[in-house]
Amino acid sequence: MQLSTLQKLRVGWEIQVRVIHALMIRELITRFGRENIGFLWIMAEPLLFGVLVAAMWRVLHGPTEHGMSVIAFAVTGYIPVTLFRHGVSRSISIFSVNSSLLYHRQVKILDLILARFLVEMAGGMMAYVFLAAVLMVFGEFPVPADLGLLVAGWMLYAAFTLALALVIAPLSEMSEVLEKFMPVTTYIMIPVSGLFSMAAWIAPGVRQYFLWSPFVNAMEMMRKGIWGETITVYYNIWNPIWCSLVIGMIGLALCRRVRKTLTVQ
Amino acid sequence: MIICRDLCKEYAHGSARKQVLRNVNLEIRPGEKLALLGRNGAGKSTLIKLIGGVEMPTSGQIKRHMTVSWPLGFAGGFQGSLTGYDNARFIARIYRRPYAEIKAYVEEFTELGAMLKMPVKTYSSGMRARLAFALSLAIEFDCYLIDEIILVGDQNFNRKCHIELFEKRADRAMILASHSTEIIRESCNRAALIKDTVLTTYDSVDEAVALYQAL
Repeated sequence: MQLSTLQKLRVGWEIQVRVIHALMIRELITRFGRENIGFLWIMAEPLLFGVLVAAMWRVLHGPTEHGMSVIAFAVTGYIPVTLFRHGVSRSISIFSVNSSLLYHRQVKILDLILARFLVEMAGGMMAYVFLAAVLMVFGEFPVPADLGLLVAGWMLYAAFTLALALVIAPLSEMSEVLEKFMPVTTYIMIPVSGLFSMAAWIAPGVRQYFLWSPFVNAMEMMRKGIWGETITVYYNIWNPIWCSLVIGMIGLALCRRVRKTLTVQ
Repeated sequence: MIICRDLCKEYAHGSARKQVLRNVNLEIRPGEKLALLGRNGAGKSTLIKLIGGVEMPTSGQIKRHMTVSWPLGFAGGFQGSLTGYDNARFIARIYRRPYAEIKAYVEEFTELGAMLKMPVKTYSSGMRARLAFALSLAIEFDCYLIDEIILVGDQNFNRKCHIELFEKRADRAMILASHSTEIIRESCNRAALIKDTVLTTYDSVDEAVALYQAL
């Protein structure tokens, strides 16, 4: 039976969706089990992180800063950063850790990365929505002025995280040195993750360099989506799009290369 | 039909390189039972992994014109932290088979009972073998890749395997890597011997076994 290219693509797509679905369920079961709240734990960690940091900031910085609620500012900053840090750290050695899954030919190494990333993203977004909803009830979180922009910012932030994961996963199989440097690198990247400050608070001379970071651009979009006209933001939507595309492509090429030499136990 | 053309496999670690297989040409026709012989480290498992698509050849090509099982062996295919049932569910999902059917078959074939609710890492190698065979037989493949594991079962399991694999599925192809010349003589109709990275096929199993024993 000969299939046309389009049919082959459709069959392949259908298989990959099924595999990623199965991998995500497996990830949830192995990480969180079926006891007590089960898979809801995926949002527990970002949630706890967001709540505690927000409380700390509230004590250290007072109720508002530059006209924004400090609690909301901390929450909107920290939860995406948790996605970034987890997304990156969970992609290290992901192929060798999961090598027994590669016994099944339909499981591709990209599925491993995607499944983990999607679980992290779902956790981060659930925590974000949950916390925002609770804080809104207490008047600590504004009703988003532009939901579309907020979601677009989130998606771009996530896309860039995924692009990084696509590069780091194969690199970590090629070099063990990288593994040692990763935690400190993600830590150093925090200032350019858009977490602590808005571009508007930064001296104009430095601001242009600050805006090179795709994370900052995406974060500015998210915050504009929440606070709307009450704040000034600087962003270029093409920066995270291009950065994600270019880095993602490099990542895909590296994955392909690493698969050829991957030793499976 | 499975066609391997000019397969080479080389492992590299740092600057060290090891050639495991050199220019392997092999065809497996439907229904054929091929024995894979060779000393420890000769490259039997490597060849099975290449044919199963678990690892990629350094050069050369593999064409699969029939469905090929994952390599049934001591390692791989399972996730130790998941229970037998969860593994069955995972496999049912990725091979798109109804879980209820797979579950019923696994329960009947493995006779593991309540152990299926325990993580696979707590299983003995014989129990793992039962689960691996049950799952791959439940999925149904045209060609089964079996790496040693057939030897670890007890009498009852061996009898079941024999009925399910060699009697009920006599039309299926099989590649069996084993050191047991007895099982090979009994169940294979063709043999291949790997020696010094080179694979040679023999139409007479007895001839290949004699050469293997002389190694």
